[in-house]
Amino acid sequence: MNAIDTSIDSAIRAAASAIVLENVSKSYDGTTQVIPPLDAELRAGEFTVVLGPSGCGKSTLMQMIAGLERVSGGTISFGARKVQDLEPKERGCAMVFQNYALYPHMSVFENIAYSLKVAGMPKPERVERVEAVAKMLGLSDLLARKPGQLSGGQRQRVAIGRAIVREPGVLLFDEPLSNLDAQLRHDMRMELAELHRRIGATTVFVTHDQVEAMTLADRILILNKGRIEQFDTPKAIYHKPASVFVAKFIGAPPMNIVPVTGDGKVLRLADGQVLVECPVFGDYQLGIRPEDILVGEGPIKAGLRYREDLGSHAILAADLGGNLLRIATPFGADIGTEANLSLTFPPLRLHLFDAETGRAIPGAFSAQ
Amino acid sequence: MVENARSLNLVASAVLFLGMLYILGPLYLTLTTSTQSYEFMLRNGLVWYPGDQFFTNVIRIFSETRIPQQMANSLVVAVGDALVTCVLSFISAYALVFFPVRWGSVVFASILATIMLPLDIRVITTYQVASNVLSPINALLDIIGLNGLIAGVFGAPVVLEWSVLNTHFGLIAPLVAHGTGTFLFRQFFLVLPKDLVKAARMDGAGPIRFLFDILLPLSRPSFAALFVLTFLGGWTQYLWPLVASSTPNMQTAVVGLARLAPDMEGVMPDFPLIMAGAVVVSIIPLVMIAVLQRYLVRGLVLSEK
Repeated sequence: MNAIDTSIDSAIRAAASAIVLENVSKSYDGTTQVIPPLDAELRAGEFTVVLGPSGCGKSTLMQMIAGLERVSGGTISFGARKVQDLEPKERGCAMVFQNYALYPHMSVFENIAYSLKVAGMPKPERVERVEAVAKMLGLSDLLARKPGQLSGGQRQRVAIGRAIVREPGVLLFDEPLSNLDAQLRHDMRMELAELHRRIGATTVFVTHDQVEAMTLADRILILNKGRIEQFDTPKAIYHKPASVFVAKFIGAPPMNIVPVTGDGKVLRLADGQVLVECPVFGDYQLGIRPEDILVGEGPIKAGLRYREDLGSHAILAADLGGNLLRIATPFGADIGTEANLSLTFPPLRLHLFDAETGRAIPGAFSAQ
Repeated sequence: MVENARSLNLVASAVLFLGMLYILGPLYLTLTTSTQSYEFMLRNGLVWYPGDQFFTNVIRIFSETRIPQQMANSLVVAVGDALVTCVLSFISAYALVFFPVRWGSVVFASILATIMLPLDIRVITTYQVASNVLSPINALLDIIGLNGLIAGVFGAPVVLEWSVLNTHFGLIAPLVAHGTGTFLFRQFFLVLPKDLVKAARMDGAGPIRFLFDILLPLSRPSFAALFVLTFLGGWTQYLWPLVASSTPNMQTAVVGLARLAPDMEGVMPDFPLIMAGAVVVSIIPLVMIAVLQRYLVRGLVLSEK
């Protein structure tokens, strides 16, 4: 790493600012709210992934942070600055778009340098900055080419270069990997993680891909219909989902959710089968991850419907009192062709959710 | 080709050949006639073989007729028409596509409607307006009754008058407002990636910078295509220059060509001279097409996607 590289790194690291959203809301027609008032604090230098199904408002949220959409209410601060009424260029943030949005008629150099040119930076300085960024991203040999002559991964890197050349304190990514094929996506994920470690910009990354979210994020913000379902580390999101929505959204295959009824001592299925001891009354939803179910000896009976051997493990689809239950077992587990499975649900691996709100009830099983 | 049958191929070729004959036959006759002398034509009529008087005829065009000056008029009209149409279309399409224009679709529809109202249909009203550009204001003053008031106070109503007939401006202005160009640019802008605008905004480029730095360079093929099309339209325009220009030194080359045939009955027009004139007048648009034809195709193809 040479001296110039370090200066860009440290400039971005120094500019990285926390993003604070207070009461931010968005409505296009004044009646239906795409984003109801929402509060969140993204820490300085943190890599935050905004995850949610399509139409959940995650792109709108990002565009409001970027300044491409106006907020209908509330405030957005970068550090101590209130930015919600500023133009994008005044906010000190940069964005990488889903389909790169490179300027097709400009060379790679011109693409990266354009924002500096608009800002009126003198040419020698511009050249120096662009070359430093190109070196960092391995684009030095491609500076004279047009975007049309580049591969998908190279275009992606140019788009990133264009974003970081201004040394933004906030870096925004709008589903940047969704146009790449599986292998390239994996490589770019690695590159992005390395880049973030190096430059340390406050990063917001919007995606609907849970793998990207789990691997890249310091913290994941899960959005559902404009509301924050959970905002926590990947580990916490996986192991302590705050709601049925989160539990079902993260994990492949997703968590099993079965409706149960508590009589103060045990939880039962609708058909009366006892699943686990738990001193609660009323209707609940019980969740357990496919890989947490133990197959073999056990009190719980389920009928095997289908099995898929995936090499590293096998996925079983079973019928538990009318509910579909997915079970992940180590490959080759000796279950033969038995139609009836005996299962154990380890209590510490169980999640209990309110039947109506879907919110998690913490400590339901750890108390035992 | 959907099918590859031999007989179908033959028929298709025959149709093409007939079409070519239909177009090229008269053109060929133009060329051969332009190479004969007037006397030769009077004796033999129009013939299908070339003679040796072509350059004599061309020299006569330049020395005895007003065609050279009229070609200059044509050039001014065609280039003016093409340039102004390009700029107007580009700007109006820019406004329609990239800004939330209230009633944008209504505006666009009314722009498109001009395609269905070519100059040939509205030539009389256009002539009226051109003969007095301010006549709509006069009419307005009459309608709202202000003129009656003025006539009562000052003794005479206000009658404003400004004629643009027999001027280059008058020849160009009614031609430039045409929906085709707006449509062409609009379609081109619509297929551009939406994120391009956002990316430019993130880079700090305002609407004007975006227009000049991003949109204009990208639109070059569409510009070239529209320029060629309107240039040709302006060059070959007949009806409007015919009515709007009253003196020979304001007429365009196409009108001048038609005027080469004498109005008197019983006199055989000097067809070799006229045909030589037609050849000379065709050269500029031909060169234009030859130079810009690859843009022409690219611009039109891009707009269709």
